Amino acid sequence: MNVLQSVKNLVRSKSIHVAYVDVGSCNGCDIEVLACLSPRYDIEQYGIYVHNNPREADILLVIGAYTPGWEEKLHTLWEKIPDPKVAIAVGNCPISGCLFNRPHSLIDPPVSKHIPISAEVPGCPPRPTEILTAVLSVAPIVFKDYEVSKR
Amino acid sequence: MKRTVDVSVPLGPIHPCFKEPARVKCETKGEYVLSAEVELGYMKKGIERIMRGRPWQEVMFLAERVCGICSVIHNMVFIEALEQISAISVPERAALLRVIANELDRMQSHILANFSYCYTIEHETLGMYLLDVRERVMDELERITGARVTCAYIVPGGVRFDIRSQDVLHLRANLAAIEGEVTRYMRMFESGPLIGLRSKGVGILTREAALEAYAVGPTARASGMPDIDRRLRHPTYKTLGFTPVSRTEGDNYARIMVRFQEVLESIAIIRRCLDLLPVGPIRGGGIPGIGEIAYSGEAPRGELSYYIKTDAAGRVVDISIQTPSIMNIEACCHYMLKGVPSLADVSSTFVSADPCIACTER
Repeated sequence: MNVLQSVKNLVRSKSIHVAYVDVGSCNGCDIEVLACLSPRYDIEQYGIYVHNNPREADILLVIGAYTPGWEEKLHTLWEKIPDPKVAIAVGNCPISGCLFNRPHSLIDPPVSKHIPISAEVPGCPPRPTEILTAVLSVAPIVFKDYEVSKR
Repeated sequence: MKRTVDVSVPLGPIHPCFKEPARVKCETKGEYVLSAEVELGYMKKGIERIMRGRPWQEVMFLAERVCGICSVIHNMVFIEALEQISAISVPERAALLRVIANELDRMQSHILANFSYCYTIEHETLGMYLLDVRERVMDELERITGARVTCAYIVPGGVRFDIRSQDVLHLRANLAAIEGEVTRYMRMFESGPLIGLRSKGVGILTREAALEAYAVGPTARASGMPDIDRRLRHPTYKTLGFTPVSRTEGDNYARIMVRFQEVLESIAIIRRCLDLLPVGPIRGGGIPGIGEIAYSGEAPRGELSYYIKTDAAGRVVDISIQTPSIMNIEACCHYMLKGVPSLADVSSTFVSADPCIACTER
C-alpha cells in the first residue's frame, strides 16, 4: 500500500458526509435520523457530518417505501453522488414496505430494486443508536483501501 | 396583467433545510419573492386506500403511521372516533393518561419544529440545545408508552399500560428540568438580536389572510386566533381548564414563540393531570360496532379530522382523513411567502409553518 492510500484511509475514516432522502415514509425514521444529530447521540464525534447535499455525500440514507413520485429521480440522485458511495436503507419500509405493502397501495418496495443497497437497518422506526451503528460499521468496509480493491 | 419576473427559483425536493421532500417554486424579482407555489406528490402512499375494508385492529396501526412525528394524536383521534360510534366509555385514569401521552407528543413535536427553524436560520447552537431537551421528552414518552415514536398506546376503552408511582416521580422531576431549560431557551430566542433580524416582520400572515386560508394550529394562533384550538371542545381537556396561547404579530417570530409557550402550557397540563390522577382501572373494555362519524382533535400542527364508517364486525368500510399541514402549507405559499424580502427567508418561512409532508399526502 502506498503512502497516498494510507493518507486517504486516514482522512476518509474521519470525514463521512451523509445525505438522507425520504422516498415515502411516515416521517418516524426521519426524526430518528435527526435525533442522531442531538448532543446525546452526537453523530459528529465520529466524524460523520449530515449536510443533506448529495453532491458531497459519501453515504445516502434511504428512508421510505419508494413512491411513484421518485421514479427516475432517485436514480438521478444516486448518480450525482461521487464515488466511493454507499446507500443504507433505514427502517422496515425500504426493506419490505412494512405495513404499507398491501393491496391497493401505490408503493413499489424494496428500494434495492432501484438502487444498490449495502446495508439495512430494520425497525419501525430503528433507534438512533442502531442507525449510528450501521453507518459506523459500513463505512470502514467500503471506504478503506477503496482504490486498491477497485482494481 | 403582464408581470415582470426575473427568475423562477425551485427549492427542493432534496434541500438541506427540508426534512421531507417538497418543491417550492418561487417567482422572484431580484431577491424579492413575487409569488410561490408548492409541488407535492413525492410521498403519496395511498394509506386511505389500504385502510378500506380492513378490521379496526389493523387500521389502528396504519392510522398511527400516517404521521410519525405526531403519531399519538392520530392514534387518539381514530380510537376516540370508534368509541363515539360504539358508545364505549373510558375510565377516568385512562382518559388522563391519554392526555399525558398526547401532551408529551405535542411537546416533542413543537421542540422539533423550533429546532428546524433555528437550524434553518443557521442558529445551530440553539437548535442543538433544543434537540437535547427533546431527548428528555422522548425518554418520558418511552417510559410511559414503551416506544419512542410509534407506540400504539391508546386502545378502545382505555390505554395499554398503567403509569407506575416511580414513573410519576421521574416524570415530575424531568418536567421541572425541561421547564427550566425551555424557559431559558425561549428567553434566548426572545432577546437574540440576530434572531430578531431574521424572524421579526418576515413572512407575515395577517388575521384576515389566516381566516381566508383556513390556517389551523400554531400558525393560526400566531395570527391572533386562539379559538381555533380543538382541545377546548375535548371532554377531558375541558376539566383541566387551560387557556390557549395566542399572539397577534403573525410573523415567523410569533409562530416560534407560540410553540415555545405551548410547550410550557403542555407541561402545566401534564402536572394538572398527575395531580388529578385517580386510582382505578385503565381499561374498561368494549367492542367497536357499526356506525359512521366525523371526529376531530387538535394535533400539534392543528385540527385533525377523521371520517369513519364501520360495519357490524368492526371493519372500516370508508375512511377519509384531513390533516392540518395541507392548510398551513397553502397559507404559507399563498400568503406568507408573498413579499418575503430575500430568498434566504423562503426556506425559513416555509419551515416556520411546520409543514409535515408525510401526513399531507399520506
